[in-house]
Amino acid sequence: MTRYALAVDIGGTFTDSVLLGSDGSALVQKTLTTHGDLREGFFRGVDDVLARAGITPTDVNDVVVHATTVVTNALIERKGPAVGLILTEGFADILRIRDEHRYDMYDPQIEFAEPLIPPERTFVLNERTWADGTVARPAEAEEIARIARTCLEQGIVSIGVCLLNAYRNGANERLVAEVFAREAPEIFVSISSEIAPQMREYLRTSTVAINAYTRPITQPYLTALSEELARRGFTQKPLIMLSSGGVIGADRAGRMPVRMIESGPAAGALVACHFSREFGLPDLISFDMGGTTAKACMIQNGQPLVTGSFEVDRRYRFKPGSGMPVTVPSIDLIEIGAGGGSIAWVDALGLLKTGPESAGSIPGPVCYGRGGTQPCVTDADVVIGILDPARFLGGDMPLDADAARAAIARLGDKLGLAPEATAWAVFEVVCEQMAAAARAHATDRGIDYRGLPMLAFGGAGPVHACRVADLIDSRMVIFPPLASVLSAFGTLVTPVQIDLVRSQVGLLDGIDRHETARIIGAMVTDGIEALSEAGLGEDDIGFGFGADLRYLGQQSELRITLPFDPRVTRDASAMRDIFEAEYVAQYGLKLADMPIELVNWHVTARGAPPERAAAASPASGTLPVPRNRTVWIGGKPETVPIYDRNALVVDQSIPGPVIIEERETTTFILPGWTLSLHQNGSLVAERT
Amino acid sequence: MDGAQLQILWSNLIGIVSEQARALQRIAFSPIVREAGDLANGLFDARARMVAQAVTGTPGHINSLAAAAANLLDKTDVSALRPGDVLITNDPWMSAGHFFDITVLSPIFRGDRIIGYAGSTIHHTDIGGYGIGAGARDIHEEGLWIPVLKLYEAGVPNATLFDIITRNVRTPDALLGDLGAQVSSGMIAAKRLNALCDRYGFDDIETLSDEIISRSEAATRACIGALPAGTAHGVSRFDVPGGETIELRCAVTVEPEKGEIVIDFTGSSARSPMGINVVPAYTHAYATFAVRSTLDPDLPNNAGSLAPIRLVLPDNCILNAKYPSPVAARHVVGMYVPFPILKGLAQIVPDRVVAEGSGAVWTMQIHGRDAQGQAFTSSMFNYSGGMGARATKPGLPAICYPTGVSAVPVEVLEAAYPIEFRCKQLEPGTGGRGAQPGGDGQRIVFRMRTGTPWLLNAVPSRLEVAPEGLAGGGDGAVGRFEVNGMPIRPAGKLEMQPDDEVTMITPGGGGFGAL
Repeated sequence: MTRYALAVDIGGTFTDSVLLGSDGSALVQKTLTTHGDLREGFFRGVDDVLARAGITPTDVNDVVVHATTVVTNALIERKGPAVGLILTEGFADILRIRDEHRYDMYDPQIEFAEPLIPPERTFVLNERTWADGTVARPAEAEEIARIARTCLEQGIVSIGVCLLNAYRNGANERLVAEVFAREAPEIFVSISSEIAPQMREYLRTSTVAINAYTRPITQPYLTALSEELARRGFTQKPLIMLSSGGVIGADRAGRMPVRMIESGPAAGALVACHFSREFGLPDLISFDMGGTTAKACMIQNGQPLVTGSFEVDRRYRFKPGSGMPVTVPSIDLIEIGAGGGSIAWVDALGLLKTGPESAGSIPGPVCYGRGGTQPCVTDADVVIGILDPARFLGGDMPLDADAARAAIARLGDKLGLAPEATAWAVFEVVCEQMAAAARAHATDRGIDYRGLPMLAFGGAGPVHACRVADLIDSRMVIFPPLASVLSAFGTLVTPVQIDLVRSQVGLLDGIDRHETARIIGAMVTDGIEALSEAGLGEDDIGFGFGADLRYLGQQSELRITLPFDPRVTRDASAMRDIFEAEYVAQYGLKLADMPIELVNWHVTARGAPPERAAAASPASGTLPVPRNRTVWIGGKPETVPIYDRNALVVDQSIPGPVIIEERETTTFILPGWTLSLHQNGSLVAERT
Repeated sequence: MDGAQLQILWSNLIGIVSEQARALQRIAFSPIVREAGDLANGLFDARARMVAQAVTGTPGHINSLAAAAANLLDKTDVSALRPGDVLITNDPWMSAGHFFDITVLSPIFRGDRIIGYAGSTIHHTDIGGYGIGAGARDIHEEGLWIPVLKLYEAGVPNATLFDIITRNVRTPDALLGDLGAQVSSGMIAAKRLNALCDRYGFDDIETLSDEIISRSEAATRACIGALPAGTAHGVSRFDVPGGETIELRCAVTVEPEKGEIVIDFTGSSARSPMGINVVPAYTHAYATFAVRSTLDPDLPNNAGSLAPIRLVLPDNCILNAKYPSPVAARHVVGMYVPFPILKGLAQIVPDRVVAEGSGAVWTMQIHGRDAQGQAFTSSMFNYSGGMGARATKPGLPAICYPTGVSAVPVEVLEAAYPIEFRCKQLEPGTGGRGAQPGGDGQRIVFRMRTGTPWLLNAVPSRLEVAPEGLAGGGDGAVGRFEVNGMPIRPAGKLEMQPDDEVTMITPGGGGFGAL
């Protein structure tokens, strides 16, 4: 009997649904996201794919997985209910002082986002814990109860708690949670020792504030969604995609919404892992370009790179530093303000720039005919001839090529270039911008990007990927099938998994082994609990261990993966060896006599990777006769053959330049590349 | 070269230098580099002109580094440089104004030709001598003076120099680690610049650097050309550790037809006996920062955009340090250099300037013994006051301006040293009133958890002379520095008792516009 798995990815614009059968059948639907009530769009897509498959909810006997932008939206819209914050007395302004850094040295007009939680809803508690974990001043239940009552009076529905050094000992924070549970059980409580038990008070407070702020929106949403699924006859409890790359039960995800930020893009990166396995390419780079941003992720040994912190909602000219930092494990995505809607302009020095300002989808590029007047990347793609104005979105959305050309021509006047040459220049500049970001990201992490195969998707990804690949010396680009709903598909090929981090600061040689055993033990227990909630048996759970180490005196850490359980192998020299090897790999040197300091432990609890895949049965035989179009490559006209993607056949390679069209995107292959269709339905371009 | 080609190549160069800086920041030891970002990286062409800088660091470092390459090469037989050579100096007059800042410059070879240089300056943890603070009586008391030398010769370390450095500083491991980071970041830049030349088929970057520098210079001159001609005057007064009040006076002359701005500091305070004298390069660094951030913050920072800004420094002036004046705490005065200029520019472009703020960050360092009797010396850490208000926006509270460093988190310090913070929060009402209020300063209270006396080396400023409001805005509050509730004016290292409690309230920023 066929087993069915269902995935729904709610993004800012579209809600994507995928129904995947164990026979390899895949049904997809893309509907508009219903911002008023996200569940409406959710079930509209689900009903559609179920109806087309001719099955009922009870037939969905494999997983139901959900990725959603609800958390990110809540942070950007800032329309959430009243939320409070409890901090150590004497430190009430952590969110307003930040790290005292101006993120742009030269711009005197910089701004920061207002803290998520205002001063009037920030409370202080007379308590103190030292950096070694000693509770110097226990919190008083009486004082906490007073705060709880004030919160109720003020209509506060959720509270974040971040006390100094609670990463080391969360006893006082746990007392806050206990007293609130007694005095004000209806208030959601998020404590830092649970959400992000890591050193550095601003990062931790920011993370807890985000969690507290989004919880009253996310948790009821997920609960209602679970109930609605059950009511409709789905027997599976939904699993929720996390930004660290695993899926987890809805209850736990609802308590830790900060871990769901960027869950859609994380799912995109997991698709890259899936194809890395399918193609036997352990290292590759995923490249996802949409309307406003492009995202890339490095896959190493079949796993995405992860990071310990990132930033959300950059407020001032998209600049790093102008957003809110989050310190939870997350897939390490490079996000670049370069998409189809990025505006092209000429600066005071006469240089051609793309972005970061974006026309978005409304008004969108000039060619959309929705009132946009500034030339965008997509307009340049139309003028070059890569995009067919009559066949955009399968012809559902005709583009105004003349308007695009006029806008690009105005830009060209400032550069002294013809419209076609200008359009090509925009194409080049945006591709270089993405290549530059990818190079920086890779070298930051000690990865040699040259020669890495690339996996390209997203509406604008396949249009630009080949050129970006040129610029980073890549020799192969893979264009997977299901490109338009790839993130949703990604949630189905990811295991149940949770990534946990806790600080234990001390010299590697003198570390307190009992403390290590206690900390790792607590993390393992937590991992088992989380995965059990997601329906896994204890025997199905595997564990991975890692640590953040640095030379004594350094301030940022290097993450290493441990091939052993540090509770069992208490071998400091083994850890030193791994650290030094990694250090040499990244920085080209090691420091012989320098003591090494431990900062954090990492534990990953995960279930077995699922064996799901969409089967493709591409045709073989001969290629149809292509259409032709003039494409201005490098500013010169060339006649380029155009094929429909579903008309391609395996075992027939096509030399570039060539264009492949499908409903949601266009694949543009440059001269010097050869394209073929793989058995699994992917297009593969290789440097000739 | 058209605007599209140039954009692509230029962004490549910036990518190289940013990569160099990130590598440096990640592997450096000195917390002031890593957590606070006190570093600079620049890429120079074969003629030692800075073509690109990393988007990190502080104005003091970046703009000093811009001049440092030429200074180093003046003292070097360039024709005798070979691949693998690395130059070094911490000469205050040639690089960033005090011994702590070591500049490393690596020639970048393409085949057997030099096509450019990768440079970096970072603030090292210790350089021997007096240590952090303004108390040395002449420059020789301030530590080890490294003239322009080769740190590496054809890839071989200069063992003599390494021995001398190792024996003359208190924290040789950290210093050598940081130097290693500087050298390897230069190697990365050399590799990347050659890759760029390969990609685009270049023999060198001279045409590219000409284009970048001339366009930057033209854009800067065009910005200045749009201003009205004339001279505006600005004065900024502030007190420094020890109680001395410094006055910086300047005449800002805009010459739109030449596209130049001349800043004349005649009338400013004379040289100080304290280690707060500022070398011309550092003065120039903060002066050009003030002008450029006011003209157009998006202008690139390179030899071309710096050229149209000229300085006139009188002979006996605190901003024109001469040998053997002490200079170790030059930032205490140097970080005030922008303010008289901004006050002058306020008469020309009032909508773009910033009112006076707290100015120099307050730095501190602690020495002592922990409960187990183990000696410790903290790294330098710093706290900022309020920034002055802008014409249409309030001043930001507790933020570094004009410098670009960060504060080390309380939890990081408490984990590293036996220090207990009792308070670190904003001090309401310290920002000046006004149509746009100045940013508030902050209150920081700490004590040491040691049973033995300890040493505090604190460098607060603006304890007596408040930051002035602009255009009718109110003044910010002066800072306060107290031990056990008693105001004191630290001028050097303070001997502290085990239970002493230190309270610091950093100054607020000035307001902008009458209420």
